[in-house]
Amino acid sequence: MEYVSPEGLRLDGRRPMEMRQLRAEIGAVSGADGSAIFEMGNTKVIAAVYGPREVQHRSQLNNDKALIRCEYTMANFSTGDRTRKPKGDRRSTEISLVIRQTMEACILTHLMPRSQIDIFVQVLQADGGTRSACINAATLALADAGIPMRDLVTSCSSGYLNSTPLLDLNYVEDSAGGPDVTVGILPKLDKVTLLQMDAKLPMDIFENVMQLATEGCKAVANYIREVLIQNTKQLENRHADQLSLSLFRKLLLYGFCSWRIIKFLEKDVEEET
Amino acid sequence: MEAKPSSTSSSKFVDQLVVPGDVILDLSSMANQTIKLGGGLRQDGDSISVMKAGTLRFTKPNKYWVESSHKRYVPSAGDNVLGVVVDTKPENFLVDIKGPALAFLPVLAFEGGTRRNIPKFEVGTLLYVRVVNANTGMNPELSCMDASGKAAEYGVLKEGYMFESSTGLSRMLLSSPPYPVLEALGKKLSFEIAVGINGRFWVNASQSSTVILVGNAIQKSESLSMVQQKIYIEKLLKSIQ
Repeated sequence: MEYVSPEGLRLDGRRPMEMRQLRAEIGAVSGADGSAIFEMGNTKVIAAVYGPREVQHRSQLNNDKALIRCEYTMANFSTGDRTRKPKGDRRSTEISLVIRQTMEACILTHLMPRSQIDIFVQVLQADGGTRSACINAATLALADAGIPMRDLVTSCSSGYLNSTPLLDLNYVEDSAGGPDVTVGILPKLDKVTLLQMDAKLPMDIFENVMQLATEGCKAVANYIREVLIQNTKQLENRHADQLSLSLFRKLLLYGFCSWRIIKFLEKDVEEET
Repeated sequence: MEAKPSSTSSSKFVDQLVVPGDVILDLSSMANQTIKLGGGLRQDGDSISVMKAGTLRFTKPNKYWVESSHKRYVPSAGDNVLGVVVDTKPENFLVDIKGPALAFLPVLAFEGGTRRNIPKFEVGTLLYVRVVNANTGMNPELSCMDASGKAAEYGVLKEGYMFESSTGLSRMLLSSPPYPVLEALGKKLSFEIAVGINGRFWVNASQSSTVILVGNAIQKSESLSMVQQKIYIEKLLKSIQ
């Protein structure tokens, strides 16, 4: 099958080195401590983070670092043909593990000993690259929850079809059977936290493909950064105009007086009315 | 803010929005200087990097921290918080303060507390308490006394209702000058409010309708800008007259 046309366009009209459209939203789950929705084209993922909180099972308690748990599920309606039993299969278990390890690499677990952080990711729409989308969503959710992190982890996949390196494979390209390289990086520190490939590739081509995926990760990182800043700005707007900075500084210096009972006498109200 | 060549100020990032991983200071270029780091920052070799999304703040001479608003609370000594009793042990009450671990409130940490008169709290009791100790690796310790051993305002909050907020909103409610919404409500209504820096506030009034009104108004005001708040409160107060 022809995955890249002679004009250099892919099946969905993208160029080989083009990503799908990204969209992200923070605070999608009101009950969670941090949450986010992340979309890469038609792939849509929701992530919710709970914690740091008390460890649920005493036996898992770790005295020098936080326990991170991750659960990846795919919604029944996420794929073309409705699946019956999506939970607990080997694929989900593997991806849960991959996401957990990637997030563990960026969370400063030693700052929150004897606690537990739960990350739940669910695929709402699957169109290839769910692994990457889940990692990106989880990063945003963790940042929203205010969990201390070394850096933002971002992930992107790339493949090699018709002798062309392709960025951000969709479902059709993914199921073509070619190599699928998923890369996760810490963009500021320039470190790789995840690298997966389930096929064979010559070394020199692999380097190109991985380089492409890394560039993709950096593009995602820029976008995620932008989203986070926008989100903080929304929260900050009020701070900026309500709190004169100098006063805030003074307060901090003299120590917060964080308790205040304001009891307005009913007399005052009567006088006014 | 203008950077003086010799000052420690990293004026490039101060009062800017930062995200995890951002490097705000390079220590290799500033020998023989002391800086103090607050929440959300860490030292990584020769650089100071950010670990929480928020705004970078700086006070002279050398203090840096990241200000952010979250649903979770990181306990720190001296904070006044609202806690909910979760369990009772012979030595301690276990109190939920929205932190990473349950906090311990020793049964003797009350004014004039002795073995004879241990207070009885049911599960779910709301307390206004002070964080005495917050070290990593152990549960935070609370107290119902101020530093001089007086009950001060600490203790059980009877009646009323507790509302959840973000830590940012709590900080604003406690800010000086007073939070405009709170001030406007206070001019028209009579109510009592207790704010915990851990993202909880408690409201009490003679009529439960006032409690609901105040609680909702404060919660809703969080997502509004200052002008919107003004309009919202004016409308709200008009509607109840």
